[in-house]
Amino acid sequence: MPKLLAPAGSLEMARAAVDEGADIIYVGPLGFSRRPYESEMSDDAIREAAAYARAGGAELRVVLNTFPTPYDFGRFVDKAVRYAADGASGFIVTDIGLMRALRREIPDTVLHVSIGSGISNLADAAFYRDAGADVIILPYRWDVAEIESVRRASDIGLETFLFETVQTGKLCPGKCIMSSYLRFRDWLEVEGSRDFHGSANRGAKECYRVCQANWEFGAAGADPVEIKLRRDARLMLAQLPGFVAAGVTCFKLSGRERPVGMIRDLVRFYRRAIDEVVAGATDLDHHAAELAELRGRWVREKSKRVETLMDRAAAYVG
Amino acid sequence: MFELSTDVGNLKELREGDFSAYDAIYLGDFSCPEYPNNFSSHADLLEAGLQHVHARGQKAYLRLYAVPGNDDLAWVGDVIDTALQLPFDALEVHNLGVLRMLRERSCTAPIHLGVFGNLYTHETAKVLKDFGVTRVYPNPELSLDEVRYIAEHADVEVLVPVHGKIPLVISETCFILEHSEDGAEGACGDGSCSYQCTQDHWLKRGRGDGSRADWSLKDTGRMTLSGKDLCMVEHGGRLADMGLKHFYVHNKGEAPGYAAAVGRIYRDALTRAFAGEAAPDFAPALDTLAGLAREGLCNGYYFEGAGQRYIGRN
Repeated sequence: MPKLLAPAGSLEMARAAVDEGADIIYVGPLGFSRRPYESEMSDDAIREAAAYARAGGAELRVVLNTFPTPYDFGRFVDKAVRYAADGASGFIVTDIGLMRALRREIPDTVLHVSIGSGISNLADAAFYRDAGADVIILPYRWDVAEIESVRRASDIGLETFLFETVQTGKLCPGKCIMSSYLRFRDWLEVEGSRDFHGSANRGAKECYRVCQANWEFGAAGADPVEIKLRRDARLMLAQLPGFVAAGVTCFKLSGRERPVGMIRDLVRFYRRAIDEVVAGATDLDHHAAELAELRGRWVREKSKRVETLMDRAAAYVG
Repeated sequence: MFELSTDVGNLKELREGDFSAYDAIYLGDFSCPEYPNNFSSHADLLEAGLQHVHARGQKAYLRLYAVPGNDDLAWVGDVIDTALQLPFDALEVHNLGVLRMLRERSCTAPIHLGVFGNLYTHETAKVLKDFGVTRVYPNPELSLDEVRYIAEHADVEVLVPVHGKIPLVISETCFILEHSEDGAEGACGDGSCSYQCTQDHWLKRGRGDGSRADWSLKDTGRMTLSGKDLCMVEHGGRLADMGLKHFYVHNKGEAPGYAAAVGRIYRDALTRAFAGEAAPDFAPALDTLAGLAREGLCNGYYFEGAGQRYIGRN
């Protein structure tokens, strides 16, 4: 039975996702999960979210998908052990050193490989299985044939984002440090100061989504064109039956930084769609109007967010 | 005492360039298999490249493709199979699946982890050592202190870039082709490449107030680089004092002659630093290096800040 993995950028969002039928919710501790502090949670809130999930028949995963600094490695592990004791059933991680440590310290936990690992082929999947991971997130550029090929190559669990995109543009995240090359700011008190500097990849704040901004591009001396560096991903639906048949075990909804109302509606929508597919549906066209409306809301919110981030970037000195 | 290395994409560049300042050469362009006669994607050219480098008393490291998709694994495997029959001094991987392929083939050559391998900690380096990795290229976001910490606590060689553009992001497809008139008719990887990357391409973004760009990046098609050139020529003494020994000049995307000019400067500066000589006047060297850097110089992330800042010696 495929699981629906939903974001919980706040306690309110955690409750909404559980209420609407998410099988698993994921939360990010302050400074450890690649998001602005507004979309991460304190340890107390994580404990409360875990209890709410458990009471509602759902599980909670903790996102520890930043790359630790060498000085901070032990702190990652200590935090994970504490979250496990507080009811977290698994972790979403990027760093293979951390993966090994968590497997050693919390043997029964579920380890998801984060999109930040930048998996690009089925040999990667086999590597992460060897390294102790239980589930990998597949690139959202992959089609059914590629999912089937990795299914044949490894028994690792397969997770996909509820996104579709075209095979172009820069790879993000996991292979990009553009943002911190251009702009960087130090910790805020609310985030808890730590003894290193760096980008969102490392837990420092924050990725300004510079790839979503307008750039001028061209050969030296030629007239430039105005472009973005990546195309936006779209919410997907039609692929669901094929992906379930190909062996996807977990569908992940992104959006910890989105409004709670939007996440509530999306969880409700995808809960219904996944249940239909599990019951045998192969055609989800009857949801087309609702999907179009949700896609529109998603894009509008994303535009607002990019503008906010670029305004913040402009405020910080290089 | 120390090793200074750089990269060369193909045999033509290797034969026509002057790389005498270097102890070792990374052969191949790990970002783009379509790059003309790229060592990383042409098994038939490996032996000639290797012989050329070894004949000059230098070490030869082979770079393997950094972001192979499922369709690439077969040809990457062929390149590996050929390379393992040759006396390369090391193979460089960026992709952990490719690292696993090397172990499956019982690779006994040293393995280097490349810049897109996402190496941030000593604990990660220890995991990679179990797979045969002997040298790591820490993510450019790390500070010099963190780089040293990894070298000391993982007992692994650490490659420290000292000059050249910083790799910031990589892609499976070509950004130049996708945004060109040719790209409208063909797709990257389908044989329609017109090698427009032989011309410099730049990404620019202005301030919100309409003044000229304060953000600039260089784009080589499948890889975006820093607009500014990382420059550590003033810090040789510090690098030597930290116990770091393996230094690298990034050459991909630069004009002919860049690696030779930069290499001469760093060979001299590092030799003096490792001999314990007092720091000389760096102004002439900085003038030359600044003249080679269209968008100026920076210190990357070594001194804890945004990568495009130049801190300088004082």
